[in-house]
Amino acid sequence: MASIKGEFLELESDLHSILDKAESYGVSYADIRYQEYYYESILVENKVLKNYSSRKFSGVGIRVIIEGAMGYASTCNIAPENLLKTLDNAINVAKALGKREKKTLDFEVNRAEVRSKFKVDPINVSPEEKTAIALDANKAAFIGDKIKNALTRLGFSKDNRLFMSTNGAKVRVETIMSGLWHESVAKSIMAMERVGYSESKCSGFEFISSNDWNNFSLELSKLAIEASEAGTSSAGTYPVVVDPEVIGLLLHEAFGHASEGDLVSTRESVLFGKVGEKVASDTVTIVDDNVENGYFYPYDDEGTEKKKVVVVEDGILKGYLHDTYSASKLDSKPTGNGRAQDFENIPIVRQTNYFMLPKDYSFEELIEDIDYGIYVGGKGATGGQVDVGMGTFTFSVGPSKVIRNGKLAEMVRGVVISGLILDTLKTVDAVGKDLSIRTNVFGGCGKMGQTVRVGFGGPHVRVQKMIVGGR
Amino acid sequence: MSLVEKAVKRVLDLGASESEAYLQSEKILWIEFDEKIECFKVIESGGIGLRAALDKKIAMYSTSVTDDNSVNEAAEKVVKIAKIAPEDPEWRNFNMNFGKSSAEGYYDKSIENIEYGEVVEKVKLALEKVKEYNAKPVRGLLTISITKTIIANCYSEEFERIETLVSAVVRAKIEDGQYKSIGSEHLETRFWSRMDLEDIASNAAKNAIKFLKAKPIESCRIPVIIRNDVFASILSTILSGPITADWVQKGRSPLSGKLETRIACDKFTLIDNGILYGGIRTRPFDDEGHPTQKTYVIKEGVLEKYLYDTYTSIKDRVKSTGNALRGGYWQHPQVAPSNLILEQGDSSPEEMIKETQMGLLVEDVIGDSGYLILLVEMLMQQ
Repeated sequence: MASIKGEFLELESDLHSILDKAESYGVSYADIRYQEYYYESILVENKVLKNYSSRKFSGVGIRVIIEGAMGYASTCNIAPENLLKTLDNAINVAKALGKREKKTLDFEVNRAEVRSKFKVDPINVSPEEKTAIALDANKAAFIGDKIKNALTRLGFSKDNRLFMSTNGAKVRVETIMSGLWHESVAKSIMAMERVGYSESKCSGFEFISSNDWNNFSLELSKLAIEASEAGTSSAGTYPVVVDPEVIGLLLHEAFGHASEGDLVSTRESVLFGKVGEKVASDTVTIVDDNVENGYFYPYDDEGTEKKKVVVVEDGILKGYLHDTYSASKLDSKPTGNGRAQDFENIPIVRQTNYFMLPKDYSFEELIEDIDYGIYVGGKGATGGQVDVGMGTFTFSVGPSKVIRNGKLAEMVRGVVISGLILDTLKTVDAVGKDLSIRTNVFGGCGKMGQTVRVGFGGPHVRVQKMIVGGR
Repeated sequence: MSLVEKAVKRVLDLGASESEAYLQSEKILWIEFDEKIECFKVIESGGIGLRAALDKKIAMYSTSVTDDNSVNEAAEKVVKIAKIAPEDPEWRNFNMNFGKSSAEGYYDKSIENIEYGEVVEKVKLALEKVKEYNAKPVRGLLTISITKTIIANCYSEEFERIETLVSAVVRAKIEDGQYKSIGSEHLETRFWSRMDLEDIASNAAKNAIKFLKAKPIESCRIPVIIRNDVFASILSTILSGPITADWVQKGRSPLSGKLETRIACDKFTLIDNGILYGGIRTRPFDDEGHPTQKTYVIKEGVLEKYLYDTYTSIKDRVKSTGNALRGGYWQHPQVAPSNLILEQGDSSPEEMIKETQMGLLVEDVIGDSGYLILLVEMLMQQ
């Protein structure tokens, strides 16, 4: 982590004044978050540039606690007089709530300035250079008549966040991301098949300029064609080997959300009251952590330093993820998981990089004992749904392969996996020694109207019993 | 000269052949609750999105800072990007047909005067209502928004609209011994007076009770009757993309080449109604300034028309249907349905159930992705 020199000095002075003013109004606590966000998106479709858009988004959010009640207000207009009006809004909504039981919120008081590693700020790279990369990658996808449509998107973000509180905290985090997403649509006599995938990193433009994106899109076209000519799997319960992308998605959606302290405190989560209980097989250990290849996340949006949280250790549920509020409700410590989409939103409990730790199986060892099963692929997965209260999940995964007599066999398309997450994790009987964690500049995880970037992944995992549906 | 008109002129002065400015400002009251109100926030937001065309080179730049200097800077950036962007050979022009339809019922003035205390009181009454059913409110959200949009381009002076939207969702949980279930209910409306939060809360609790002792069933082929709002959600998911000219022209739509052919049973008439009174996407003009309209997409099972914005309509040499929609001021307009309505038929739900010897009544679904993977919550009717 590189540190950054203090900028925004004039702004910091204005924000300090607002916090002083808040104290003079009798708040027991206030914090203020300034954000300056740049996003650039370049979309090429069928060899033609369709969109070049660039966005700057900035503003301030103010949170106050008065008589135990919390109020929040935000604005894009950071003129000092408007900041005062925004403070008034926050105070007035807190007062409208009336007196509340006072909770002790365990705010860490950190002072830090950090930025993710990068060499070349992508926002400063010429539009010509960026567009050329997207155009070339898109053209490379047209490998035959069967490719009917190809979309390529380059995305860059620069997110500067400054957090200050009446407790004296001041944390500034700058994160730069770059990535490329591509989707090829192939049509055969059998079916039309879309396969989309992206690679993103908390990195500068060097991540884009140093990779072969033409080959990336070409390989996705090959996969789309092969999938469009593949058959569908027959529905049933099979042993499956799940690739890192799918296990990441599965854990994040079906287990990760259930381990978020706010959903636990309202008893919405299937994991409520299960700390100390067995929720997975002995070989499963799940953590939420700030890691190199995932999303850069040294401090959360309440100024709390991100700690490694062991959620499951050797199959036993050890704890939950928390922001200050859920920690207070469940008598725990904040874990640095209080995250907000932007300054217009209040931090809520979110995962950061959530993944299963690797063990000792090679891929060949994972499949060698399976007479008939499915190797579930993540490339081209179109997502799914979960119910955190029931622990049910359904995911449409990417083109997958049949495992026959311990070997990978033919491809199958339209594979859907579903089940109860706690049952599924209890039938994990082998975990690979590889580990892949990914993040995504093109989207993130949505919860209560807020989307945040996350990292997810894991090793290859073998599940003895998984419900697999076909089309 | 207004900010929007200044921006349009500035982009032209800097060398663009066409320009467009889209200014949005919004105030949102956002109230989250479980057993009590957990969060009440006031969001004042907005920004300006500029589009420039330099012959066939198109670019967009947006900023949330809307003072004169920032808008000038945005104009410079958008023209700079357009100058170096490769050409889109299919580009013709921005919307040249500005106008307003007869749409009504998209703005409720009373929302401008709502007191914070009134909102708090409404939520408290709803929470009490859930408890009357021995259920527990586990999560809810009420949002009240006023959005002002101003759009102008080099072919027209500015057009302005103000919209209001009130939206609520309530989730209630009920436990009875080993059984537990969560029910939910939601509503979106343009009018504050139509937001009966107590009724929504009651329905959420009733739904939780209804599903409490639901049992799983084996896979089977069986007649199903789907509740109207559930079917609407499924229809929207599976048809919103394919009925747009954008999908059709790109070869992504399974409805390509099927105009004037039968694609559904003759009881099936689907309308995109941009002028439906009080519809949640009813507006007098779309996000390019084109008048909105009512469009028959499928009539008695026959595919009649795709939905268009300016770009796609020029390509097909037809008129736009006024279906340009932006997700925000920072986004390009895209073709999307306004209010997608399946016309009613002549059977009542009771009659349908009576005629079904053995079947399922689908009350709710979770997850309706493009492949229609549905986890169905249902009541068995025997």
